[in-house]
Amino acid sequence: MRATTLADRQAIYERLGTGPLPIEGMLSAEQYEAEVQHIFNKAWLMVGRVEEIAEPGDYKIKRLDVAQTSAILVRGRDGEVRAFHNLCTHRGNKVVPETGHDSFGRARGHSLTCRFHGWVFDTAGPLKMLPQEARFPEPIDRSCLGLKPMHCSIWQGFIFINLADEPEDTLDDFLGDYGEHFAGYPFARASWRRRYSSVLDCNWKVALDAFSEGYHVETIHAGTLPGIASVEMEQTDYKLFGPHSTSGFYVPGAEAMKPTPVEARLGGSLRQSARHGPHLDLLPPTINPKKRNDFMFEFSVMGPNTVLHLCAGAAYPGMAYFHHQFWPMGPGKTLWQGTNYYQPPQTASELVALVHTDTLHRNAWLEDTSTMENTYLGLKSGKLKDVLLMEDEVMIRNSHYAIKEATHAR
Amino acid sequence: MRVDATSLPPEFADLEALAAIWALPTENERSALRWRSSKADFQALYDAVAPRLDAMLIALDSHPLAAMPPAFQRLLHLALAFAEATPHVELYKGANQVPISFDNSRFTAEHGDQVYGRS
Repeated sequence: MRATTLADRQAIYERLGTGPLPIEGMLSAEQYEAEVQHIFNKAWLMVGRVEEIAEPGDYKIKRLDVAQTSAILVRGRDGEVRAFHNLCTHRGNKVVPETGHDSFGRARGHSLTCRFHGWVFDTAGPLKMLPQEARFPEPIDRSCLGLKPMHCSIWQGFIFINLADEPEDTLDDFLGDYGEHFAGYPFARASWRRRYSSVLDCNWKVALDAFSEGYHVETIHAGTLPGIASVEMEQTDYKLFGPHSTSGFYVPGAEAMKPTPVEARLGGSLRQSARHGPHLDLLPPTINPKKRNDFMFEFSVMGPNTVLHLCAGAAYPGMAYFHHQFWPMGPGKTLWQGTNYYQPPQTASELVALVHTDTLHRNAWLEDTSTMENTYLGLKSGKLKDVLLMEDEVMIRNSHYAIKEATHAR
Repeated sequence: MRVDATSLPPEFADLEALAAIWALPTENERSALRWRSSKADFQALYDAVAPRLDAMLIALDSHPLAAMPPAFQRLLHLALAFAEATPHVELYKGANQVPISFDNSRFTAEHGDQVYGRS
């Protein structure tokens, strides 16, 4: 079913309700199993960018603990990106050894060779050869023994997989109007990637929710982002698109921000450069619809487990974007990955300025992640039955509405 | 592969003692140092490098980012250490941790072992 837009405030609250949010679903192992089955094994999941596997033969191994598998995302000699289970069809070993949650490499001669018994697969999937084939007592039908494929589709350079045997929706319908809202942003320009990650002892929804609202900025980021935390901000232009939602983040008080001396020098050099400076004209037309100069970023939840922010060089350096992902590893365990994408630095001074910006971002994320395990412990204490949500926390309401709809309607 | 140079370009000879401490080639190495540095360590770096930052960036930009001579790579690594350590002086009152934050040892940087300044 295509995800269509709901933008009217009253209609949003009529759909989502205005009351407190019950917390039971963040604690229940049964609910977790329902989410694994009905959401993570059915929804389209964003697992990478085309720039991560830019050349034929390049691969990324994405561990998917939630489905007890991992995906080989590989670019074939024909340039196509394909996804396979990282699973040898001989006896089930991982074909490509992993070095972490994400691993990267290049297949030599477009061959992926299992280290267990040396079965060799082509990057397009087929089983190319196996040692001592004649010694299997029954004939080997190689045509049935290629790598097990995963449904794979690309939107705006983001690689998605779907673990269902037959996905309920195409990726285009799954993203629906959300996909159109963000289409056309120059994602490919911002190919310089800086990724931080941690495994958190909390339910994935606790972590998702913590990054899904702007209400926390002026308190939790007063240490690292005092300029932003001390001036007037506005989160507005809320839109729902099925399991996805978005909003615009503006800084009407930006002129009152007092950057530190080094931030003024390094961040200032980026803001004043033609390459990294403001380019509001490059935003898709439905983002920043009133063409405000104090636009800071578009701030969205791409269901089920991604938070995506787009920037346009105003109050933030460059046509840069960033996302958070929350990968369930169990009812109370979550892999968080925060990734900043910038335009690649062309000079040393650009590199130093971008690293300074990225350091502030990383430090702000250290502030964000400080709440999640504590929040989860607080919820587990049993002293709260539900939590209160203000207007800027409405995207949390939408995520929980969509999760409930996907798991309870069955 | 580590940078072999033990000296900065001659015009930055006054920063040699700081470079010996801070000009580490990777973010992981610089972060490990930062999380155990003192207020005095941060202040010494800031006071010496901040007034020279413009000159450093101009000198660095005279070489292609992907092919810097060893002395300039070392200068770049000092500039990166400064960029990463500055918030501890300007924002955190010399503390070596981000105040009220998550355990930094549990953060992994995917790019943490990359060395900038060469192809």
